[in-house]
Amino acid sequence: MDDNTPTSADGEANGTTRRRALMLGAVGAASVVSIRPALAQAAGSVLMCDIPVPDAGRARGYISKDGEVVAAGTAGSFAPPTRPLKGEEVRRALASGSNLPGYDYERSRAYLQYVQRLQRGTAGFTCFASVQMLRK
Amino acid sequence: MSATRYRAPPADALLIRELDGLVALYHRPSGATHLLASPAPELLDLLAEGTMTRDELLARLVDRYEVADAAGDLLDARLSELIAVGLVSAT
Repeated sequence: MDDNTPTSADGEANGTTRRRALMLGAVGAASVVSIRPALAQAAGSVLMCDIPVPDAGRARGYISKDGEVVAAGTAGSFAPPTRPLKGEEVRRALASGSNLPGYDYERSRAYLQYVQRLQRGTAGFTCFASVQMLRK
Repeated sequence: MSATRYRAPPADALLIRELDGLVALYHRPSGATHLLASPAPELLDLLAEGTMTRDELLARLVDRYEVADAAGDLLDARLSELIAVGLVSAT
């Protein structure tokens, strides 16, 4: 592995070494999506990736029903989810029109609108793009 | 019967870049590109240090990371994915 991989155990704080948390994940999920040459098609099922809502730079913002990040407390907007959305949750909700786990219809639609507005370079974009690839 | 041992490709067979919380990996021998989510990059990282059995890999993983769900069947599932796409070989 080269220096660009985020694979080393992290961090020292106050003189103590803190090990990075890791999840092996569910048996039915997957941690690999493959793009084969001359066949721009994903093989695999579900990518265990995260989509923060909103991204860290706007972490205090709320999400409007249109998926825009607005000031906290704005009327008609929703507080962000307490944890990043999972690629699989987004894939399933978009594919079936169902709600995100733990959220009602309105809130789910707002969060999904946010995800669908993600631009290249925004945290979670690659995860969403991968999810989109798997839907086709 | 000896336990199955797992091996990662040599470092020069891979081109690796971090990409928005994921790891994009180009496997030169196959020409395939893979997007890896945790814990796949970490598993490849450990296996790059040498071949090991599932139990050895699990022990190394727990030693290096705070693994909330350290179970053999889950590690088997992750290894199976990596084997299926040719990033890990089992002997």
